[in-house]
Amino acid sequence: MKFIKKQGGNICFALIVIVLALMPLFLNAGLLSGSSTVLFLGKCIAFAIVAIGLDLIWGYTGILSLGHGLYFALGGYAMAMYLKLQETGGNITDFMHIGGLTELPLMWKPFQYFPVTLIMIILVPSLVAYIIGYFIFKNRVKGVYFSIISQALTWAAYSIFIALSTYTNGNVGITEIKTVFGSIKGSAHRTEMFKLFYVALFILVLIYALAKFLVNRKFGKLLIAIRDGENRTYFSGYQVSRYKTFIYVLSAAIAGIAGAIFVNFNGSITPSQMTISYSITMVIWVAVGGRGTIIGAVIGAFLINLCEYNLSSGSMVEIWQYIIGAVFCITIIFFKGGIVGIVKEQLPALFHKLKGKKSSAETVKEAQ
Amino acid sequence: MKNSKLKRFLAVMSAAAIAATMTTACGKKEESEDTVKVGLLHSLTGSMAISEKSVRDAEVLAIEEINAAGGVNGKQIEYVEEDGASEPSTFATKAEKLVDSEGVSAIFGCWTSSSRKAVKPIVEEYDALLFYPVQYEGMESSSNIVYTGAAPNQQIVPAIDYLIEQGYKKFFLLGSDYVFPRTANMIINAQVSNAGLEVVGEEYADMEQTDFAAIIAKIEAAKPDVIINTLNGTGNVSFFKQMSEKNYTSKEYMTMSFSIAEEEVATIGSDILQGHLVSWNYYQTTDTEKNTEFVKAYKDKFGESRVTSDPAEAAYDAVYLWKAACEKADSFEVDDVIAAIESGDISFDAPEGTVKLNGENHHLVKPVRIGEVGSDGLINEIYSTDPVEPDPYLSTYDWAVKAGIQPLE
Repeated sequence: MKFIKKQGGNICFALIVIVLALMPLFLNAGLLSGSSTVLFLGKCIAFAIVAIGLDLIWGYTGILSLGHGLYFALGGYAMAMYLKLQETGGNITDFMHIGGLTELPLMWKPFQYFPVTLIMIILVPSLVAYIIGYFIFKNRVKGVYFSIISQALTWAAYSIFIALSTYTNGNVGITEIKTVFGSIKGSAHRTEMFKLFYVALFILVLIYALAKFLVNRKFGKLLIAIRDGENRTYFSGYQVSRYKTFIYVLSAAIAGIAGAIFVNFNGSITPSQMTISYSITMVIWVAVGGRGTIIGAVIGAFLINLCEYNLSSGSMVEIWQYIIGAVFCITIIFFKGGIVGIVKEQLPALFHKLKGKKSSAETVKEAQ
Repeated sequence: MKNSKLKRFLAVMSAAAIAATMTTACGKKEESEDTVKVGLLHSLTGSMAISEKSVRDAEVLAIEEINAAGGVNGKQIEYVEEDGASEPSTFATKAEKLVDSEGVSAIFGCWTSSSRKAVKPIVEEYDALLFYPVQYEGMESSSNIVYTGAAPNQQIVPAIDYLIEQGYKKFFLLGSDYVFPRTANMIINAQVSNAGLEVVGEEYADMEQTDFAAIIAKIEAAKPDVIINTLNGTGNVSFFKQMSEKNYTSKEYMTMSFSIAEEEVATIGSDILQGHLVSWNYYQTTDTEKNTEFVKAYKDKFGESRVTSDPAEAAYDAVYLWKAACEKADSFEVDDVIAAIESGDISFDAPEGTVKLNGENHHLVKPVRIGEVGSDGLINEIYSTDPVEPDPYLSTYDWAVKAGIQPLE
């Protein structure tokens, strides 16, 4: 019993992973009507990964970033540039040609090589996050001011990506790309699709384990200390800004990895992945799932995206946004701890109350 | 006690997750004997919803008309709707869902170039069929896409020719900052300089830009004869309102717009737009028997205040062209339908006049019409051409070839 209580989050995560891992088998057994479901779940894995990163900075450290779409898209673009060059055989792309270029621009050159690309997927978001984080946290900018700055920077990056259309293809983005394993569409390429899916799932498990590892030791306690009393942590002799910068950079790197996975499943990346509204959607996943729990971020990302995917079609097509909006409002107003909070606190409290009415003093004791 | 509840809840949660996925997957598997499924993929929410709604409505109208008249190959059309939410990657996800999970025979959808570009690889890899109903920047042709809107040589090039003929000499290019205006202006630059005339300015506004003071000042300084306007969406409203605040009408600065149809005239106001020029293939006022029926049916179904427009008409045509192709192929299999399309014999007696599908590049042969906005908010045709063969790459225009307006390969 105690084990379940303590390990509830991990058990739940294990269940999710098992269900996901079974999906390709279901598909082969004919239980799923099409591979598009598996591909969509692949995108959800990417969303869950970025949500874990957000939970680390928001749920644990209290830094609310409304601009994580930027790092997600940076990782995504890095991957997409490599995949696009695979398609063109290292030559220039058609949008560069229309833009008047005759040679591959310098910023595209590193993405000809896969190992370099893998490094860039992590390095580019980290570097941007480090520069931003270093100055912001050193100057002790926090709270809503940080959120506003993160939004403004994302907006600026979005504008730059659209303005540099010769290099980035503007708001059409990088399209017509396959994956690191080649084509994964259609039944002829099932093996490649499953390979990609399991790689993504493996990365999700790794990131989850990393996040859990960090928050379960002294470092995690420090993050919570920063969230709950930043000045006190300063006075205790900790270099708060360093910790904040570190966790922010880590979170950006995780977002970059997520973006790279997303591109493989999505087959394109556009600047709309780095818009403010997209970034806020990511925060909502964490809020609904339950922040400060890691597993909440994963649950939120899967649940909301699956709801959106299923609701935004057929007869619900006109009203689906109202339904999802209502769910957000109810969660934020009544259930601050999100879904995990409901399971961990509200529900037990409810049972407790019901039991109490039955006036069995013993059960109350036991429940306590 | 508490813990077993917790355990049970976790189990319920994961079961719910599985159920949610399964319903997606197995939702609509039963394929009925006497229906054929098509997908409608437009933005019904988000910033593009206002434009795409009219296109979606025209498609629904065409489907219902066809069903009432007995369907296609003896089968009733059943449509599955998906919301692209004005987001290219959502379009890609939903296109995949339609072709793979729903198994639709064709998708009617998209509006923006970015959504089309996101869907293109999906329909190509799954060997599906997309009907794209909006005029666009060209430089594309896919065997899995049918383009029922105008290629650049069926809208932009004839409009500039018309202006040159009318004696306009100094052109100012104004557009939103995305692929259609940029490509359009690249074409116009080549065309204007080939005629020995001058482009006196080229400006791009952000998609969400509402302050046009700086751009209007540049226009005043450049003193153009005509402004070629490729602004899209809300930019148009702000730009024309701010021009009219300075008391500029079509007499001071004539504009030729490529993205203003009847719907947009209603939003901006006919008092402001009166006398300005636009270029399309179809207007609500287009004088054909077929159009009278189309406008009446559209208004009967969706309300007297609604107007028809070029994209809506092209979407209406798309459904009928698909029907014609399926009937010629006597099949709904994508490969057979594409073969029928590529035979070059598919045509439809459309509201804009008879349109014929070019089997090589999958575009339509269309007449071009230059229109002038009237005081009643409708657009009146002042000049029209014979049907023009589609040429998305402008490869039959010497000046375009010389200027290098060709994609790679």
